[in-house]
Amino acid sequence: MADDDDISRRYRELPREEPPRHLDDAILAAARRAVHTRPAPLVVPSGRQRWYFPLAAAAIIVLAVAVTVHVEREQPAEDMLSSNTATAPAAAREAVPPAPAAEPAAPARAPSAPAGAPPSQRRFEMRDEARAQKPPPAPSSDERARNEAAPAVLQKAPTEQSAGAVMGRVEAPKAVGAPPPQAAPAPEAKPAERTKAAIATTRLAASAVQSPEQWLQGIADLRKQARHEEADKELAEFRKRYPDYKIPLAMRERVERR
Amino acid sequence: MLAYGAGDAGAFETLYARHRGGLFRFVLRAVKDRGVAEELFQEVWVRVIEARGRYAPKARFITWLYTIAHNLLVDHWRKKGLSLVALDGDDVSSESANPARQAESREALARLVHALESLPAAQREAFLLHEEGGLSVAEIAAATGVGEEAAKSRLRYAMTKLKAAVDDG
Repeated sequence: MADDDDISRRYRELPREEPPRHLDDAILAAARRAVHTRPAPLVVPSGRQRWYFPLAAAAIIVLAVAVTVHVEREQPAEDMLSSNTATAPAAAREAVPPAPAAEPAAPARAPSAPAGAPPSQRRFEMRDEARAQKPPPAPSSDERARNEAAPAVLQKAPTEQSAGAVMGRVEAPKAVGAPPPQAAPAPEAKPAERTKAAIATTRLAASAVQSPEQWLQGIADLRKQARHEEADKELAEFRKRYPDYKIPLAMRERVERR
Repeated sequence: MLAYGAGDAGAFETLYARHRGGLFRFVLRAVKDRGVAEELFQEVWVRVIEARGRYAPKARFITWLYTIAHNLLVDHWRKKGLSLVALDGDDVSSESANPARQAESREALARLVHALESLPAAQREAFLLHEEGGLSVAEIAAATGVGEEAAKSRLRYAMTKLKAAVDDG
């Protein structure tokens, strides 16, 4: 056994030949190509792999929380902005209502007025419409009381009026840009004024369902009662409202002054 | 090797760095021709790379590695019309195989080298497997495909001859 160790020791004293470098490179390249992987990194990748996914997950969670908090903080400001923008058009509509907004009100009101409605009611209606088309002039205290009282009456009207009247009444204040209900100082109005305004509103509602034929019939009734001045005004108003309406010959004889 | 088989090229680099020198010297001293040795050395590692998917750890990797090298050497000798079995006798005699005569004017190491080159191929292989690969008798038997007794006998003859060659100086 000692002889074996001596031989081994002597053998290890022989030159230690090594394979040439190009052979090493060729073999290692072949090994890498075989597994289609890159050379092993100097730093063991297990550490990076161990931390990569938890780190990425934590980053995503932090980002999601931050975005949520940011959105929630921004939300009240946006709500305020949207409420402001929602009220702004209403105010603008009230101040200077556009012509197309006033146009649909006419057909809606025209077929709803009852036959034989007094001209004063229609004047009230016209005045209201004119207020919608022009910047509102300073109304008289009587008019203001009537206009302001109207929405208050309208609020409880649906239970008292017919469906057709309700439809016309609801449409009309919107079309003429009546002040919002919360602005109506109805409780402060005097009882007499309140009653007057209620009557006027009822008549206004009735006239809202008036058709051209009914309007002409009303004018004919005025003629019959020899209230020619009022009949002329109504006729002029009618022609202004319905410029293309061809009045039948028989009806024209009844509504025109002879 | 299992790690390399799983796709870790770094594991192969570790294996290669550990066994490249011993394997190269084993092949070089077996064939005595550097060009042929380089070719066989490369072929051994190509076989290892190709077998990465079907490698089963039945024994130490180094035993498997030197088994591949042994098989390639057998093929090499066969191509040259030689046979390890034919050279496996301890009665091979030639003038150049006489360590005592050729070691007279050389240094002990030179005598050792010459004695090693003069050994029968099977004995030389057993000795180189033991010295370069660190294989035990059983592992030498497994790598060369012979029984343990035969492996032990080869190694013993090789040791005796080499010692005689060195002592003759």
